[in-house]
Amino acid sequence: MKNKLSVMMFTWEFPPRVIGGISPHVFFLSKSLAKNGVKVHVVTCDFPGAPAHEVIDGVEVYRIDSYKNPAPDFATWVYLMNLNMQKEAAAIANKLRDKIDVFHAHDWLVATAGIGLKHVFRKPLLVTMHSTEIGRRDGLHTNTEKMIHETEAWLAYEAWKVICCSDYMVSHVKWAFGLPEDKLVMIPNGVNTRVYESSETEDYDAFRAKFALPDEKIVLYVGRLVYEKGIHVLINAVPKVLEKVNAKFIIVGSGYMKEQLLTIVRSMKLEHKVLFMGFVDDETLLKLQKCADVSVVPSLFEPFGIVALEAMAAKSPVVVSDTGGLSEIVDHDATGFKAYPNNPDSLAWGITKLLLDENYRNYIRGNAYRKVQEKYDWERIAQQTKSIYKAVLGEYSKSFWA
Amino acid sequence: MVGQLADYINALSIQLAKNNVETYVVTYSDSLTGAVEEASGVKIMRVANPVRTHIGVLTWDLTLNQEVERAAASIYYQADKQIDLIDVYDWHFIPAAVTLKNALNIPFVYSVESLEDHRSPNTSTPYNMSIKSIEWVGFYEAEKVSVKSDWMRDEIVRIHSVPEEKVKVVLPSAGSWIKDVLELYKTVAGGLNRK
Repeated sequence: MKNKLSVMMFTWEFPPRVIGGISPHVFFLSKSLAKNGVKVHVVTCDFPGAPAHEVIDGVEVYRIDSYKNPAPDFATWVYLMNLNMQKEAAAIANKLRDKIDVFHAHDWLVATAGIGLKHVFRKPLLVTMHSTEIGRRDGLHTNTEKMIHETEAWLAYEAWKVICCSDYMVSHVKWAFGLPEDKLVMIPNGVNTRVYESSETEDYDAFRAKFALPDEKIVLYVGRLVYEKGIHVLINAVPKVLEKVNAKFIIVGSGYMKEQLLTIVRSMKLEHKVLFMGFVDDETLLKLQKCADVSVVPSLFEPFGIVALEAMAAKSPVVVSDTGGLSEIVDHDATGFKAYPNNPDSLAWGITKLLLDENYRNYIRGNAYRKVQEKYDWERIAQQTKSIYKAVLGEYSKSFWA
Repeated sequence: MVGQLADYINALSIQLAKNNVETYVVTYSDSLTGAVEEASGVKIMRVANPVRTHIGVLTWDLTLNQEVERAAASIYYQADKQIDLIDVYDWHFIPAAVTLKNALNIPFVYSVESLEDHRSPNTSTPYNMSIKSIEWVGFYEAEKVSVKSDWMRDEIVRIHSVPEEKVKVVLPSAGSWIKDVLELYKTVAGGLNRK
């Protein structure tokens, strides 16, 4: 047997294509696995200007034709894209000198590609469930939502192990798909603290002045402007905060709720206090995170909560809603402030408390940074992932597929 | 049974078995899933879709294809990887045929009963275009295309720009029908490994 473990990962997003949290997750996970002696082949959707094949720190990245004809709707596009992904991945895996040992799929967006190739090559399939449709939508209301849910259930059924990024997600996924306990594995998501360290010495005053007056505190929100992220809860908390402290609210991200949120802000006559930035480049985001006096993650549903971790790594104190993965990342009054979910008063109280008390801010900041370094380090996560691969291959070697 | 295809495949598979061709049929059924061997010697594997709720034929088809792949792969491994070719009918299972070809080097014949351009004339909604694009992938990846009339051959050449020599007309009404089918299969069998 060859000595190097070989994994093919499927993901619908990989840098420079960034839509949500899966892209940075697979980026850092694959690089850290490569550093730990795992050969990783990432198969992902194409992106304008990005090469069809490249090697990034030992990781083989293949960008497939993601089906660019108009599709009837998003869900149908996903399955059409998977047709291409599966076809191209089949050819790639077939031509490799060292055969793939494990397929690893991230979310339902690559479900059919992963399931089909598992059977065609007869190799084990692992799945990381980053989120679920039933959680995102708070129930299953339409046929599209039911179809996606059933696809997720099928993917979980076909998987040898299902990896979740938090204890909350383990129990949620177990409930949602009726999975046996021993099929689930918790490996946390990671954060790359190094990018925040490298900019430690820079002067942020000039940058900060572009967004806020000197006497304004900065409150930062980073995330899609969608219901599950609870951005409307934060917007409703804005006037409550402003009663006590002068602050500027910076909203990074985009989504279908944008117009609705703008209308609320206008009706409150607070356009000068709430700044909608849309998407920003990585460097601007990093600087904003470093400048923020408070970062807020007001999600109603949050499988993990990477934004909170990034803020903690950037030494920005966090106020999060006490739900899902956020509940595990933040220890109340130690590494952040936990507010009641969907409660603008509670959220405003936490934000105000942090903004008004510099000692408290510094205390939270220091604790949070230490926790990130100890628990959410990619090196550690890669080792945990590698040991799951090995455990699965051990079981597989005794199966009739081997 | 949905159209005339079921009867044709039944007759064809029986004839193939009579001519000592090891024949497996992979098809869809919601109620008769599993493997069965007919008196003729033809082995049939029926699969159902694990996803029960759908928003259209496309999502139904593209998920069902994974089960078709699972069935075909299990036939392949049980037959000691000795599958010479796949004959795939119309666009529905083209995704499976294309993946099996690229993964396991099994060449396929794309047998055309009808085209989306004829079923839904003068329509180019995203839904129709998606089906046409699956047909196109089938024509591109197939070793040979099998049709039942000269007219259909010309239409495929016209609509999908398939090289004419790739398209073979096999007349089901001809006395030499099964001989013609076997002749076509022989030109394709093992084609990818020979290269």
